[in-house]
Amino acid sequence: MSNVPKEAIEVIAQSIGITNLSPDVALALAPDVEYRVREIMQEAIKCMRHSRRTVLTTDDVDSALNLRNVEPICGFASRDALRFKKAAGHKDLFYIDDKDVEFKEVLESPLPKAPLDTSVTSHWLAIEGIQPAIPENASIEAPSDGKKAEYKEDGLSVDVKLPIKHVLSRELQVARNLNNFPLMFALMRVARSLLQNEHLHIEPYLHQLMPSIITCLVAKRLGNKFTENHWELRNFAAKLVASICKRFGHVYHNLQPRVTRTLLHAFLDPTKTFPQHYGAIQGLAALGPSVLLEPEIKRHEAWCVYGALLRAAGLCMYDRLKMFPSLLAPPTRPVWKSNNKVATNKRKASTDTLMQQQPPAKKIATESAIGGSNIGVSSMSRPLSNDNMLGREVGGRVSKTSTVLAQAWKEDTDPGNLLASLFELFGESMLSFTPKPELSFFL
Amino acid sequence: MENMQAVNSFVAAYLKKKGFKEAEQLLEDLQKESAPIDFHNDPDLAKFIHHFSQSEDDVARYQDGYSKLRSWTYSSLDLYKHELLRVLYPVFIHSFMDLVAKGHLQEARTFFNAFHEDHELMHSRDLQKLEGVLSQSHLEEMEFARSLRQNKVNIKICQYSYGLLLQYLHKTQSTAMLGVINEHINFQVTSGQPGSISDDTEVVTLIGSCQDAASLINQKEIHWGLLEDSLEERLEKEGGLLSDSEKAEAENKEGDVDDSKKRSVEGGKQGASTKKLKKDKAVNATAKSARPEAKPTPAAPRVKPELTLPVMSTEVEQSILEDLRNRVQLSSVALPSVSFYTFLNTHNGLNCSSISQDGSLVAGGFSDSSLKVWDMAKLGQQAGSSTLQGENDSTSSEHVAGPNGVKRSYTLFQGHSGPVYSATFSPLGDFILSSSADTTIRLWSTKLNANLVCYKGHNYPVWDVQFSPVGHYFASSSHDRTARIWSMDRIQPLRIMAGHLSDVDCVQWHANCNYIATGSSDRTVRLWDVQSGECVRIFIGHRSMILSLAMSPDGRYMASGDEDGTIMMWDLSSGQCVTPLMGHTSCVWSLAFSCEGTVLASGSADCTVKLWDVKTSTKAPKNEEKSGNPNRLRSLKTLATKSSPVYSLRFSRRNLLFAAGVLSKNV
Repeated sequence: MSNVPKEAIEVIAQSIGITNLSPDVALALAPDVEYRVREIMQEAIKCMRHSRRTVLTTDDVDSALNLRNVEPICGFASRDALRFKKAAGHKDLFYIDDKDVEFKEVLESPLPKAPLDTSVTSHWLAIEGIQPAIPENASIEAPSDGKKAEYKEDGLSVDVKLPIKHVLSRELQVARNLNNFPLMFALMRVARSLLQNEHLHIEPYLHQLMPSIITCLVAKRLGNKFTENHWELRNFAAKLVASICKRFGHVYHNLQPRVTRTLLHAFLDPTKTFPQHYGAIQGLAALGPSVLLEPEIKRHEAWCVYGALLRAAGLCMYDRLKMFPSLLAPPTRPVWKSNNKVATNKRKASTDTLMQQQPPAKKIATESAIGGSNIGVSSMSRPLSNDNMLGREVGGRVSKTSTVLAQAWKEDTDPGNLLASLFELFGESMLSFTPKPELSFFL
Repeated sequence: MENMQAVNSFVAAYLKKKGFKEAEQLLEDLQKESAPIDFHNDPDLAKFIHHFSQSEDDVARYQDGYSKLRSWTYSSLDLYKHELLRVLYPVFIHSFMDLVAKGHLQEARTFFNAFHEDHELMHSRDLQKLEGVLSQSHLEEMEFARSLRQNKVNIKICQYSYGLLLQYLHKTQSTAMLGVINEHINFQVTSGQPGSISDDTEVVTLIGSCQDAASLINQKEIHWGLLEDSLEERLEKEGGLLSDSEKAEAENKEGDVDDSKKRSVEGGKQGASTKKLKKDKAVNATAKSARPEAKPTPAAPRVKPELTLPVMSTEVEQSILEDLRNRVQLSSVALPSVSFYTFLNTHNGLNCSSISQDGSLVAGGFSDSSLKVWDMAKLGQQAGSSTLQGENDSTSSEHVAGPNGVKRSYTLFQGHSGPVYSATFSPLGDFILSSSADTTIRLWSTKLNANLVCYKGHNYPVWDVQFSPVGHYFASSSHDRTARIWSMDRIQPLRIMAGHLSDVDCVQWHANCNYIATGSSDRTVRLWDVQSGECVRIFIGHRSMILSLAMSPDGRYMASGDEDGTIMMWDLSSGQCVTPLMGHTSCVWSLAFSCEGTVLASGSADCTVKLWDVKTSTKAPKNEEKSGNPNRLRSLKTLATKSSPVYSLRFSRRNLLFAAGVLSKNV
């Protein structure tokens, strides 16, 4: 009838010394015991609530007993869970395992560590309704997690997914993997796949993707072996950037200008290495000529860029050439050393040209500004004519230095003749600003 | 019987004496007719009575009757089903109690177990209580059961459903069910369509308390308006000038230099308030043009204070006015900033916390009878100056030296002899009140760091204590089922509010100090008049113990949060629930309205602070009544903490939200 069996009453009666309890009494007491227990629990729950807890403790039961003027039950305050054991020889008699404690042991044992004192700290849970991402706050669903789910959707295997998350999460982490060339190339391919997938909603994660791609485009060093074709990676990344700009440029107005600015920055800085320049140029070239006519870019800057572009296209040719021997016949160490030296000379020269080049460009810019032709298209013709002139000048200089270099190379490598003839081609290509066919030709 | 005979003979003698022959004759006849019937000699009657008592014993009739009624109800027409379903629950519990009352305990238990699942969803707590009823004496003893037995349940039902039910009961001859229904249910038959399924508040309210009394009480008049001449009003008032007397006083006190400064302040105030007025006008105008019939919500009416209110010093007034001018306007699009105070290393001992009006002081009441107060301004300094406060004893003088010479980051108030269940700061932060299981309330000074008064009056643990919005007065609530009003200068309570059927768990002042609201374990919230001590409203609708209350700053609405995580918004004037707010999954420990009443914040044991848009719901029903349910309050934002249940919330006068909670690992 009640949840408390009459046997329990009998056991309790025995435990307090009543041996001859009639079964009727036990039967009558059982429901009342249950009622009282429920009553105590009801009060204990109240005490729990007022202690702002959702877990009932023995303290609550004690307080509840207090409320009912019943003596609290001692001995249950310990935090350990109580263990009931079956009494030997009895079917349903249980007792609490109460271990004997050696008094001496307790006295001799070292004092437990004092608990830390209560303290209060404060933090911003929200600022104007937005939860700041600080360690004190519960972590909000990170966007990378959302991406993870999308990967799953994509059917990519788990082992591919993990490094991606690692790399894409922060640019620093990309930087950590910069010498792992195959991984980077794989990542770029993944990025392309992600971008090409129409079913993925990649836009929210563009800001996380872009730094990594740009890094692969203009990083100082990609991969740690010379045999690794980082140029290819740069080309790939450049195409990727261009495709992103093409696809999302109209949605995010500042995407393309920002990319352009980054690339220009990498490219106009003479302290940057050639591979960086190469990457920047590749990127700019992939973005197309319209980049430079973006209204956000100042006119004179555009001019600098345009001139520099031509010049640097030459440089890239030069880089190709420099690589050429290494690709054809892996050179010995001394050769590379000399080449490095040459390269540094060359760089000095290039900075010189850059310095010389800038003033006229600025002048032109101001002139055109005075002319009041703010519309890009109408002013196109004049810059082009100027540009020819400039290019010629630069080309001349470059070819001059290059001939010197060719002489230097002649001593080291066989294909000197080839190079000499190529310089002529190179000069022309400067003017037409189409280095690709030639490159493919000699590669 | 002998007495009766004596009276009869006396009357007969009297009539004889007076000579009323006809009357005498009549009386004789009557006496013959009403001669006592001999039960034992009349076989027919004995048989009838025997049969009757047997049928009473026939337990199966309850079981069968109920199960048949149940299956009939479930197979009834959809349109009327929900109305008929409402009848089932009272029939169920009364059948159960009838069985218990007649001593069929075993059968009662089986009956209960067979059918209680139907009602588990709606009435789980009632059922838990009733499950423990195992004998007649329990029925007598348990207040809940007694009130159920004594009061009839009101059920609104449409004509047709009522007809259906009666027809069924007559046809099936289920007299047991008919008896239960006749005895315990009071049908309010309405003509026309059956009521909608959504007004299920009825279903809940019909249990436990006498509804007639409640609705009677709820007809009383209340003045929910704000106090006359409040600071806010003064700020809004044109010109924002100080009242003449104050101005004169101020002029007497301050010199000419101050006067000019003051004027400039006034000028600023004037500018601000006129600007505000203009803005208000503009808003009104647009509202009118948009909706010609919708009137701009009227400003809260003004009422006179029933209590003598403490006088505020001018400096305090100035600082409050300053705060009011710098208040951030909150709305559904402009959410508040929340500063969260986390208690660390409490070892499960923190029972309550409280934050002062400006957020600079935080108090915690502990189960080891102590009250600890942290000065957050100092805490910031400590963090900057000494990071090694634990090891390095000679770091700063700011630390209060404890008795053992150990430096503490807080002020320790010791005096209680039982767990501290509640603490509250006075509006100016110079006093703290704490209530404890030792049945006392203690007043502490934060300036002197000492106990000033011990208020004794309650007979059982005091669950909650709250300062009035103006200070000086405070209200307390206790396990002894009363709430009491006190003033700081008297050790005896000024008023005792009795009426709740169970513990009074929380208490809250109305904005105008003329009323207090109390929430109880009997699942009702009551509103009491402070002056008369009368109960003026009963709010019925919660399904579990009420843990927190908050009053809207305009005095019109009240929010209450319960053990299940439900929050209810009440209209004080009508006593009706505006709308329930569902979202929390566990106990709502704390509620707070923003200063202009647009946002409600709730803190819960589910480790979240939720922000609710209160404007849409509370204003909309006024404008377009019964246009449907889309005007339900909506949750604006859920701010999750890092496993810290939120114990208390407080909006500062500038509308910065402070929250406090304890970092607990086992949540």
